[in-house]
Amino acid sequence: MESATVAIGHGHAEEHHGPPEAHESSRIDRQTLGILLFIVSEVMLFGAFFAAYFFLRVVVDPPTWPPEPFELPVAVAGINTAILVSSSFTIHYALEAIRRGNHAGLKLGLVLTWMLGASFLFIQVNEYVHLGFSARDLGFGSIFYSLTGLHGAHVFVGLLLLSFATIRAFRGHFGPEAKDHLGVELPGIYWHFVDVMWIVVYVTVYIL
Amino acid sequence: MKISEEAVFRWVVIVAVAAVSVIGLTLLTRPLVGAIWGAVLVCAAGWRGYRWIACKRRES
Repeated sequence: MESATVAIGHGHAEEHHGPPEAHESSRIDRQTLGILLFIVSEVMLFGAFFAAYFFLRVVVDPPTWPPEPFELPVAVAGINTAILVSSSFTIHYALEAIRRGNHAGLKLGLVLTWMLGASFLFIQVNEYVHLGFSARDLGFGSIFYSLTGLHGAHVFVGLLLLSFATIRAFRGHFGPEAKDHLGVELPGIYWHFVDVMWIVVYVTVYIL
Repeated sequence: MKISEEAVFRWVVIVAVAAVSVIGLTLLTRPLVGAIWGAVLVCAAGWRGYRWIACKRRES
């Protein structure tokens, strides 16, 4: 066995050893494909919650929505929506900055995005405290807290990803080349997804 | 097809503008009108996406 290995080793000294190279697409790199597939699975998860929401709304069919005596703070949630949408602009600014080699802009954009995301989460928790109903109050309470809570959990995960990216940015890990700032690009794509999902949640739950 | 944060950000802006139109219409009229307009926008986006994918398939 040992001699066979040695013979192979001598015969193919310049060949690649170890596991074979992973197949790669020329159109999309592995990391971006991974985050996109993850986002597709997340869309399905949100889809299940939206299906439950619309099922409840159609089956109960109350004269007003939200049903009496529930009231939602539409204006406060609207301001919160504006905060989250603006955070998409700041993370885009951070990425544009690092593409031009501007490290200070990257750090500023990431810190601003993190602060806006944290403000969103803080306002949402504050909203929960002052709403006056809980997840145990009828089907509406359950689905309201489920949908907004699911989204809040995603914001929390996004904040964790942004924290890692910000720490790395302050340590000077990123560069202008596309492969050198994937650690910001992928959290950025995830953050945009969280942003779009909130727009859909806000329009569906608070406005329509 | 290049998928990047830039392309996704463009979609965020498109969705935000569409949502503003739905919110405006709902506040000016009734939730049903806003919901119908939202459904029209979703269908239009789906149709446009389908056409785009079909076009890409013909090219490759």
